[in-house]
Amino acid sequence: MPVSREQSPGRLTTQALPAQAGIGLRAVHHDEFLSAPPDVGWVEAHSENYFALGGAQPWYLEQIRNRYPLSLHGVGLSIGSTDPLDATHLANWRRLISRFEPALVSEHLCWSSAGGIFSNDLLPLPYSREALEHLVSRVGQVQDALGRQLLIENVSSYLEFKSSEMPEWDFLAQLAQRAGCGILLDVNNIYVSACNHGFDARKFIDAMPAKAVGEIHLAGHSVNRIDERQIRIDTHSTHVCDAVWDLYEYTIHKLGPVPTLIEWDLDIPALAVLAAEAARADQHARLALAA
Amino acid sequence: MLGAQQKSLIDALLAQHPGASTALSDIRGGVFSPEERLGIYRNNLRENFLKVLELEFPVVQRLVGADYFRQTARQFLQQSPSRSGDLFHCGRAFPHYLRQQFADSDYGYLPDVAALEWAYQEAMIAADDPRVFDIAALARLEQDSYDRLRLQAHPALRLVRSPYPIVAIWAANQPDAPGDATIDIGRGGDNGLVTRALRSTQIAAIGAGAATFLGAVLEQQPLGVALEAALAADPAFDVESALGPWIQARVFVGWSLA
Repeated sequence: MPVSREQSPGRLTTQALPAQAGIGLRAVHHDEFLSAPPDVGWVEAHSENYFALGGAQPWYLEQIRNRYPLSLHGVGLSIGSTDPLDATHLANWRRLISRFEPALVSEHLCWSSAGGIFSNDLLPLPYSREALEHLVSRVGQVQDALGRQLLIENVSSYLEFKSSEMPEWDFLAQLAQRAGCGILLDVNNIYVSACNHGFDARKFIDAMPAKAVGEIHLAGHSVNRIDERQIRIDTHSTHVCDAVWDLYEYTIHKLGPVPTLIEWDLDIPALAVLAAEAARADQHARLALAA
Repeated sequence: MLGAQQKSLIDALLAQHPGASTALSDIRGGVFSPEERLGIYRNNLRENFLKVLELEFPVVQRLVGADYFRQTARQFLQQSPSRSGDLFHCGRAFPHYLRQQFADSDYGYLPDVAALEWAYQEAMIAADDPRVFDIAALARLEQDSYDRLRLQAHPALRLVRSPYPIVAIWAANQPDAPGDATIDIGRGGDNGLVTRALRSTQIAAIGAGAATFLGAVLEQQPLGVALEAALAADPAFDVESALGPWIQARVFVGWSLA
């Protein structure tokens, strides 16, 4: 059920995200969100898509924010890079946070840039002690600059570094503990990386400090076949697969209820399809909690 | 160590031939080789960059065709890789790049069409300005104050002047345009005016007088100077009949006396 606006016009309160699953907000659905608001618990917007100073994008976000709790999710801060943090990017973030008062603010356990050049992709880190020290300091800098706790999300990856010294899950758990950030657990990303690198996805989930996990992401991925070999790519282009639903139930059973989001970024379907996928997440969560 | 590793990886992602990169030595092999693993990220980078340019320059893409556009995007990426975590900025240098490629060719209009499309992109994200233009107070001003009067443009206002019919080309290549337009490239140029009223960004062609006038206003020239220049470009230019529609279209949001 969309949350009604409680306060006087022009004033938004920071609402906690409800247990009912949410969906990623995409521009193709902006008008439909206003004309026929879907029955989803909350929405998440990519912060960079709303960096515009004015015009249609922030206007839509404001209208939608009036009806739904909001989470802001960054994809471009390059938090794991050794380049200095981009002051303009942070200033844009601060402007969005003060205007839209999101319930949650998140970024990725990754890096995107070096020497000022951006890949605009979520590149994996070596899970080394050096990288951990760097990330603890950087997450601290960002949290200070934004005045908010960050949730940090695990990414899908297609390569691993020989210089890694610990598993990704230990790295993430230690980062959360030392930097005081939360964790955005992307269950699909765990599954994709587990298949690509041959680890047990449940081991990742078992290592998560339950109190730190503030949000879960679910999405569909694709399987690329090259000769007889296959690799899973995090495309957000289809339905959540059965193995990821199973892993989601395992996660909820283990951690308890966590605000959950359906992401879909490529071949984006009708809004009703996304709402149905969110309802399906609610069903799986109920099953997991009853088990 | 981490910094050097990241630098060599970014270089390898962009390199024409990454085979010799030192970045490969720290990547685990297995079912897929380090080169193949790196290749997935190399492909992501190129595709993401291409996708942004396609969204920002749909008319240029339509004019040159999808394959040629892809090839041009790849070359542009080599010269001008992304320097921001916000993908929007990827296209900023694209009109300039096309100018280098096509300035003295039969496709000289391409860079100007790209400049018009970039102006449209900038207009869409420009700040709002909710002020209401006080035309009544303006009308009460004495004519002798025109030398101190400056009109204030909306933050989204852009003007792109070209010796080619760029607005006609742009309009004929919109998704809802009839597909049978023929445009005489040599028929003379267009002055493209980009405006944003509420949430809708528009492109229109305006005459030489109007373009000269708005160009002067955008350079913060006083009204007297702008008028004089406009009348020199087009003696028939009539500012009084232009002003009403411009205020409607949010060309101007206010004025000041300096």
